[in-house]
Amino acid sequence: MKSTKFTPARKLTKEEIDRKWWEIGDFFRRNSLWMLMYCTGCCAIELPPAMTSAYDMERLGMGPMATPRQADILLISGYLSVKSLRRVIYTYEQMSEPKYVVGLGSCPINGGIYHDSHAVINQLDQYIPVDTYVSGCMPNTESVMNGFVDLMEQIKNKTANGWVKYKENNEWYKSNQKAALGEVIIHDEFHE
Amino acid sequence: MIVNILIGFGIAVLGFVLQTSVAGVNRKIIGRLQKRYGPKWYQEFLDIFKLLSKRSISHGWIFDFGVIMALGGIIATAMFMPITNTFVAFAGYDNFFIFVYLLAVGMLGMAMSASGSGNPLASIGVMRALTTMLAYEVPFMIVILTVIKLSNTSSMVGIGEFQRALGNNWFLIALPLGGIVAVISLMGMLGKKPFETYIAPAEIASGPMVEYGGKQLGMLFIMHEITVFIEVSLFVHIFLGGASNIFIFLIKYFVVYTVVNLISNVNGRFKIDQVVKFYYKWPLIMAVTQAIIAIYFGWVI
Amino acid sequence: MMNSMSNIEYVKGLIDQSFKVLETDVIDQYQVSFVFKQADVLQVLVTLKNAGWKQMSYLSAIDWPDEAKFEMVYILMNWERAIHVQIRTKIDRNDPVMPSIITVYPGAKYYERECHEFFGVKFPGNPDYEKQLILEMWDDIPPLRKDFDPQAYSDRKFTKREYNQDYKILSEDNKLKEKREARKQRAQSLKGGQKA
Repeated sequence: MKSTKFTPARKLTKEEIDRKWWEIGDFFRRNSLWMLMYCTGCCAIELPPAMTSAYDMERLGMGPMATPRQADILLISGYLSVKSLRRVIYTYEQMSEPKYVVGLGSCPINGGIYHDSHAVINQLDQYIPVDTYVSGCMPNTESVMNGFVDLMEQIKNKTANGWVKYKENNEWYKSNQKAALGEVIIHDEFHE
Repeated sequence: MIVNILIGFGIAVLGFVLQTSVAGVNRKIIGRLQKRYGPKWYQEFLDIFKLLSKRSISHGWIFDFGVIMALGGIIATAMFMPITNTFVAFAGYDNFFIFVYLLAVGMLGMAMSASGSGNPLASIGVMRALTTMLAYEVPFMIVILTVIKLSNTSSMVGIGEFQRALGNNWFLIALPLGGIVAVISLMGMLGKKPFETYIAPAEIASGPMVEYGGKQLGMLFIMHEITVFIEVSLFVHIFLGGASNIFIFLIKYFVVYTVVNLISNVNGRFKIDQVVKFYYKWPLIMAVTQAIIAIYFGWVI
Repeated sequence: MMNSMSNIEYVKGLIDQSFKVLETDVIDQYQVSFVFKQADVLQVLVTLKNAGWKQMSYLSAIDWPDEAKFEMVYILMNWERAIHVQIRTKIDRNDPVMPSIITVYPGAKYYERECHEFFGVKFPGNPDYEKQLILEMWDDIPPLRKDFDPQAYSDRKFTKREYNQDYKILSEDNKLKEKREARKQRAQSLKGGQKA
């Protein structure tokens, strides 16, 4: 074995030091995920068995949080109408980074059973970046738990980069949002 | 002098580590009570470090400054807390009234930064927190003044030694009504159900903490853990006889926090006017009765 | 609790003595429906409200594209005599105008806004029936009409996910194929509200 007594130890470059800190951060982030339950559609009914004593979510470290600024995961459960999508975009942009999005059910994937409706969007990927989909109509609670574990594995392998993609390809996302919604921030008699 | 400051800082860090571990173990106990596996025992540490590693959004300098003031104030308070009667940083300065005054710095810091964020829900939460403080302080103070009169000293270490002297019982047994009032006031101080009105996660979206994210929330959590450490230690010293070595202190601390947590987990949440009305009715009557019995008649068990 | 048959007789008597009813239909023991001309509707509502039908449960329209008419439906409920009364009238489809009833039932303000947004019916007398209530930034014909195609709108506006064909059809003789085709034909023929 080569002795290190006469050769100086290699100095780590700045990227390697950053990466090591980021790995430590990833360990903390994947073991204590807090979700904001945005229960838009029918798939939200799969969340109570996942949160309580049946398929305990707290042993993975996950828990529900009340506001978007404190949460890590935005959980889109079910179909998104055009009105809800505007509010989801406001909410997604308020969260603090790094943030992840999980889509439950078939409706964020390709529209589900509402694919031919005039008010339901068909592919969530075009408007906000999604890290994990859980398919099913509606998925079994074990599938939902598998989806969360899969998200934790993705954080470990550093492939959960939705928030980075949103910042880098911001114009593409914004043009898609404009094409489908017309305008993201609107003013009517209820929102001045 | 420097040595004292370092010991004080060590006490604050010890308090933080102790309380975070005890809180994690309590989450596991509550999980087992609900027939499920709870989280790991070090889950609270992971929560705090995850929060400190997120990028956060700032709302102006009052917002940031308030959090730093709260955290700094609470660490300064924790430096005075005695653990046993010899392990104390600033001997002679562990008066009860120092703690009561310095705890307000933490609360004021949080109030300042919460109102600097501009969200009306934060103002509602801060108003509720200060109203709850107004409610639980009055019966608590009456009982503490009784204890100070009976033991002729107001230093924590002194009260602890008075209870351990021969022929004297712990004040939890010697003043039974006062002990019950102190437990109820402790639940109000810690913000446990049914007095959890100031956080109220589903009603006002967690009250004062609504606009925090990332690093400021992590610092607020650290502040909350050290506040809980100070309050439970106050209870241990005043009512359960202090400790002569550190293991007894740890056992007493753990038992007090677990009992309070178990009581609070089977209760709902009061509204803010119900909190004030509750505290000004039976606990106040019991505290005044206890004071009259102990001081004028001298019937101490 | 009064007998519901006598309640239905009471309502029929009340309506018949002052108005000309075009058609009466007793749907079941708690529901009855009357068809009027458009000009009589406001008076009928005033009479019924004074007789105890104080709650307006629903206001909407039904689209009959073959006759080129909209059918306006008002459903009222009485809390003492438990009868739902449906008041129906037919109005013209190409220029639908219906006088507003907010002088009788002030809560109909939002129902009329919704009806305008989804069918295109105008309600003079209601000062803000043109304000949007449910649909935001809508740019097409009112969506609950029968000649609105939701599938075409959705294809035009929202991008769909493309799938690769990564499966292979192994054999063409499929016994269930005729049944599947017949089922698809039946589903297509039921569209547009026609009976099979």
